[in-house]
Amino acid sequence: MASSKKLISREEWEKRLNNVKIRKEDMNKLVMNFLVTEGYVEAAEKFRMESGTHPDIDLATITDRMAVKKAVQCGNVEDAIEKINDLNPEILDTNPQLFFQLQQQRLIELIRNGKVEEALEFAQEELAPRGEENQSFLEELERTISLLVFEDTSNCPVGELLDISQRLKTATEVNAAVLTSQSHEKDPKLPSLLKMLIWAQNQLDKKAAYPCINDLSNARLEDPTF
Amino acid sequence: MNSSNSNSNNGQSNSCKSSNFDNLNQDLGLHFLELARIGSSKTPVEMEEDEEEAPKELNTINSSGGFLVVAPDKLSVKYTSVSLHGHDVGVVQADKPAPMRRLLYYFEIYVKDAGAKGQIAIGFTNEGFKMRRQPGWEVNSCGYHGDDGLLYRGQGKGDAFGPTYTTGDTVGGGINYASQEFFFTKNGAIVGTVSKEKEMKGHLFPTIAVHSQNEEVHVNFGQKKFAFDVKEYEAQERLKQQMTIEKISLPPNISYGLVRSYLLHYGYEDTLNSFDLASKSTIPPICIAQENGFDEQDVVYALNQRKTIRQLIRNGEIDAAMNKLRDWYPQIVQDDKSAACFLLHCQKFIELIRVGALEEAVKHGRIELYKFFGSAEADDPFDDLVQKCVALLAYERPQESPVGYLLEESHRDVVADTVNAMILSTNPKMKDVHGCIQSYLERLLRQLTACCLERSANGGQGETFHLHRLLNSSREI
Repeated sequence: MASSKKLISREEWEKRLNNVKIRKEDMNKLVMNFLVTEGYVEAAEKFRMESGTHPDIDLATITDRMAVKKAVQCGNVEDAIEKINDLNPEILDTNPQLFFQLQQQRLIELIRNGKVEEALEFAQEELAPRGEENQSFLEELERTISLLVFEDTSNCPVGELLDISQRLKTATEVNAAVLTSQSHEKDPKLPSLLKMLIWAQNQLDKKAAYPCINDLSNARLEDPTF
Repeated sequence: MNSSNSNSNNGQSNSCKSSNFDNLNQDLGLHFLELARIGSSKTPVEMEEDEEEAPKELNTINSSGGFLVVAPDKLSVKYTSVSLHGHDVGVVQADKPAPMRRLLYYFEIYVKDAGAKGQIAIGFTNEGFKMRRQPGWEVNSCGYHGDDGLLYRGQGKGDAFGPTYTTGDTVGGGINYASQEFFFTKNGAIVGTVSKEKEMKGHLFPTIAVHSQNEEVHVNFGQKKFAFDVKEYEAQERLKQQMTIEKISLPPNISYGLVRSYLLHYGYEDTLNSFDLASKSTIPPICIAQENGFDEQDVVYALNQRKTIRQLIRNGEIDAAMNKLRDWYPQIVQDDKSAACFLLHCQKFIELIRVGALEEAVKHGRIELYKFFGSAEADDPFDDLVQKCVALLAYERPQESPVGYLLEESHRDVVADTVNAMILSTNPKMKDVHGCIQSYLERLLRQLTACCLERSANGGQGETFHLHRLLNSSREI
């Protein structure tokens, strides 16, 4: 495997790095975009004041969105649904998958709190009709209901439904749906740029030996290995 | 090779601290002077690329003259001879090679008349191609042939590829730089793709060929609407690439950590406090362990002072800022000819102009700015900036002048960033000069840009990377 890789010295590479023109405002925008998309309202407001960067979304809408997310994260699904509909009733109308997920979470919470009768009633009235229309909903419903027959849920095959990660997953999707309905991108740009960096380095590795950054958290440049 | 005024820090001892500091001082400040220059151009900060030329018509100079005739508009060709063997093919290339700095390139042919035998071909060939052979019959060429529907890639025998094509068909050929493939279409639908072998690097010319009597082919280099929806195809391919990138996994909480260290680096204290407070109540709580590499020693230093001075500068209160500096960090304002002092003096001048106090501005200029004029060096950043600042005096409405950008908030920010870096450099625990100037986030973005530029340099292929555009577009990355 002949190596026809071009070698770029550290000195040369650092010169190139210094020649890159990055605007402070662009970096500020990137940070603001992160704060806003992830829902750090007060921080976004302070950042606006301290840096003069304008948020690309109305900060008032963030508070509402965060309230919804929090409600889901805490397992207050009924509250969350009410809040979403207050924000924009179309969100759940146009998102049957999301709505089902929320209803499923509600069922999980009822089961978690030992409210067996209520759980069964809820499942029969609200979830079963959905299950009849949609195969994957039905499967999820069956998985969830099966929680009831286990005394020790920590070891059962569907135990993961009770895990907090299930709530977080739903919360993330609710967050994304709300952002999308507000015509905003649902993901912050920063993680994508970081992934692009990893990808670009991998691609360049095929053609050249050059100083690369292996640890993103301290951005340290490693000498090229040949 | 050890130079006495190198940037590398090898254990500053107190005795030589001031001399090391001078070197640091100059280097740090100069960096920001350069930044002040960037603000002067209205165009985006990326390098201007040479506009890559695209094929527009057929090349009549190198086509296989005796066998074919190219129409005067250079967009169609007819085989006039009677073909006798395999070396009298009528081949025509485009006038320019396919441009490479994009995701893909595409062109189409329309078969007006398949003639006696329908031996038409569409494909790509390199510059030195033997112009009497079908594209694909020689190395460094490829061709999709209409008579047998085979794909030829550098040898006499072709591979099964797609349907044949004849009179009335529209056939397209393209290069996908992202996936490194050739692709062909027929009447608006994809026929197939093949990998663009390694030999086929370098410039590739869109090529068409006719070989039997009366064959006639028209070519479309994009002047007319294509039968194939190439824009849609391009969007799909771009999406594929994005999905590959999206799948890459990141260390947990890395974005959070980078944002945090950015705030610390520039001294955005209030934001940082709100950020930390909110993170405590996040579910699940975010914690950055020390082993993740976030070393706060360097940047927590003087957080409140840096924030205070930044706010003063952002409000245009330069005198107040300089007073604070004299109180807290006299070593920074000690050398009046340092880049940092220079920037502050210029900013004071600019603020006076902003409020219309022109006489005071002139007075200030006579005291503080005159000494930066007329350096012998060409391209001296001090001279450059001071001239531009003073030029503000000449305009009734300076903000609308070519030097109006100096009055913008972004310029105040450059001064604030300079002072911030200088304060960070006074930290006795500071090990890395670089760390004063650039946050980790900035370094990562520079690395990203440099890698992408290297990939597309020297005849590289694929879309070029534009950080500024990416950050300012409203679509998802």
